[in-house]
Amino acid sequence: MKLLTKLTLFSTISKLVIVLLFVWLLPILVDRVAFGYADYRLKQQEKKVFDVIKTNGIDYYFAGDSTYGSYTLLKEEYVSLEKANALVYPDTLQTAERIVEGDTLNYRMLIRNFDYNDRHYTLEIGKTIASIRQYNVPLQRIALYVLAALVGITLLTDLFVTRTLLRPLSNIIRDKLINSSFPFRQTFKPVKTSTADFRYLDESLMALMQQITQDFERERAFTSNASHELMTPIGILQTKMENLMLSEIDEAAQQRLIDMMTILARLKRIVNALLLISRIENAQYARTDVVNIDQLIHEITDELSDRMESKNITLQSDMQKNLQLKQLNRDLIFQLFYNLITNAIRYNREGGRIDISGSYDNSGSYAITISDTGQGIPDDELNVIFNRFKKGSNPTGEGNGLGLSIVQSIAGYHGITVSVKSWPGAGTAFTVTFPQSMVAE
Amino acid sequence: MKVLIVEDERSMALEVEHFLKRSSWLCDLAFTARQAKQFMEEGSYDFILLDLGLPDQDGLKVLEEARKNCPDASYIIITARGKLEDRIMGLDLGADDYLSKPFSLLELQSRMHAIVRRKSGLNNSIVAVGDFSIHLTNRVVLFNEEDVGLSKKEFDLLSYLVLHKNRPLTRMQLSEHIWGGFSDGDYDSNYIDVHIKNIRKKMTAFAPVDWLQTIRGVGYKIKL
Repeated sequence: MKLLTKLTLFSTISKLVIVLLFVWLLPILVDRVAFGYADYRLKQQEKKVFDVIKTNGIDYYFAGDSTYGSYTLLKEEYVSLEKANALVYPDTLQTAERIVEGDTLNYRMLIRNFDYNDRHYTLEIGKTIASIRQYNVPLQRIALYVLAALVGITLLTDLFVTRTLLRPLSNIIRDKLINSSFPFRQTFKPVKTSTADFRYLDESLMALMQQITQDFERERAFTSNASHELMTPIGILQTKMENLMLSEIDEAAQQRLIDMMTILARLKRIVNALLLISRIENAQYARTDVVNIDQLIHEITDELSDRMESKNITLQSDMQKNLQLKQLNRDLIFQLFYNLITNAIRYNREGGRIDISGSYDNSGSYAITISDTGQGIPDDELNVIFNRFKKGSNPTGEGNGLGLSIVQSIAGYHGITVSVKSWPGAGTAFTVTFPQSMVAE
Repeated sequence: MKVLIVEDERSMALEVEHFLKRSSWLCDLAFTARQAKQFMEEGSYDFILLDLGLPDQDGLKVLEEARKNCPDASYIIITARGKLEDRIMGLDLGADDYLSKPFSLLELQSRMHAIVRRKSGLNNSIVAVGDFSIHLTNRVVLFNEEDVGLSKKEFDLLSYLVLHKNRPLTRMQLSEHIWGGFSDGDYDSNYIDVHIKNIRKKMTAFAPVDWLQTIRGVGYKIKL
């Protein structure tokens, strides 16, 4: 999940939780405040009652009666005074029912017992619960509206601010990581940001990419220079020997000269192979070709048909016609199969067979297997055949031991896998597997 | 035919000159881009062999300018850097062919002949060998209008030997010619014998081929 999505999700969820908590707590809180205020009012009224009693005297109210009561028209509030025989109730604030003129109503009431001129009295001041709660609902509603508006506004600002804050990061990811592929040809511009972390990330990333590019260019220059420095003297020697070969020399000298030319040719092939491997590993080949693989293998087998004929080898090819593979370098893939097929001819027996077959496997990748009927490779040599200069115990002992290293390099460069199975005395099978992403639609 | 050899390695340039002079080419040598330009201003050439790795100027730049000054010349570019881009650029800039160092002098001559053949506009260059005629353009060998039926590789071998007639060619030189960069040494050289055997077999069915000689311990030669 992207950081922006995560942050947005988090702030939305946290706000939602706050809103829910508020919705749940609001009635309780409002009620509490309303009751608290009602209690406060009752106490104030009590004080007033005592002030009035002090001024007028208690008998002014009783007027000979044993009780006094007064209430508002809608019975929302009442005051009652009565003589008490003993202190029945403790002084208290409580919620209880009272019957006023036949109406049973719920009141919040203050009950106060007091002595006046050595007599006991009870004072009750009450306020209906309904009147205490009368503002609860509208208050809650307004609070909710305000909250909703505030949450909405903060959500939008959060979204806008995180988006703005994270923009440099998404720019870095888009420009430097997703849209750039190695080797980095374009020059990168630093991302505009006032966030130190992003600037640091961006600068480090650019420094790293520059470092890699420099190393890469240095190696590229090295292979190019090495190529020049090695090939020039070999070239001079070769031309000198060729000219010498054409001049009048005796047979013994000529034989030595041929030996020298043969050795020089071997040197040339080794240097060429090593340079090829190093160029592949230095990513100097574009992987942009779309290759009709059946056609390519046909080209190779045509090229090698004379060799197969001279060894009476039967070729059986069973490939998907018109199958296109993409993201390849055609020359390199040609070389890969050329090396495998020449090996299949070279190490085959007289009158043997070569089978080339292609098939899709479960994951949709395409595998081409080249199997021969040669002498096979002993188990303990199977894991070293791809190593440079390893020739194994092969009796023919030809080649420079780089053919399969080249195959390995080419395969590795393209993300192709090459595996080998061998049955000593019966044959060897090399399987080249192209991942599904290379199988063009 | 006149050739300008532009090559900063003197030793190399002299060998190329030596070889081409044997085949009666007239040669001028230039070791720097500056010298090369001077030669091109003063004279005209049929061929310009241009090494791309010159000390004083990028070879591709030289090629670009040279193509303006000597548009009629044929250009073969030579490089030891092995850069694919160089070859593509060079051919884009109008070079006729490309050789990478180290190259065989025989191969150089063969390429030059191919260019001459292509440019002379002869639709069918025919070379007579014994009682046979080799049609280089159609790539067939005929005996009294009848196709001898050589395979592609056999034809390549025979025409290469004919081009360098009266010179002994080693198996390795022959195998490097027909297999090119894929040539794999001694092993491939053995196939040359197989091919020669087949060529002899196919051709002697029509007429004797004693002009195709085996030089013991060396290779083969066509003696005409």
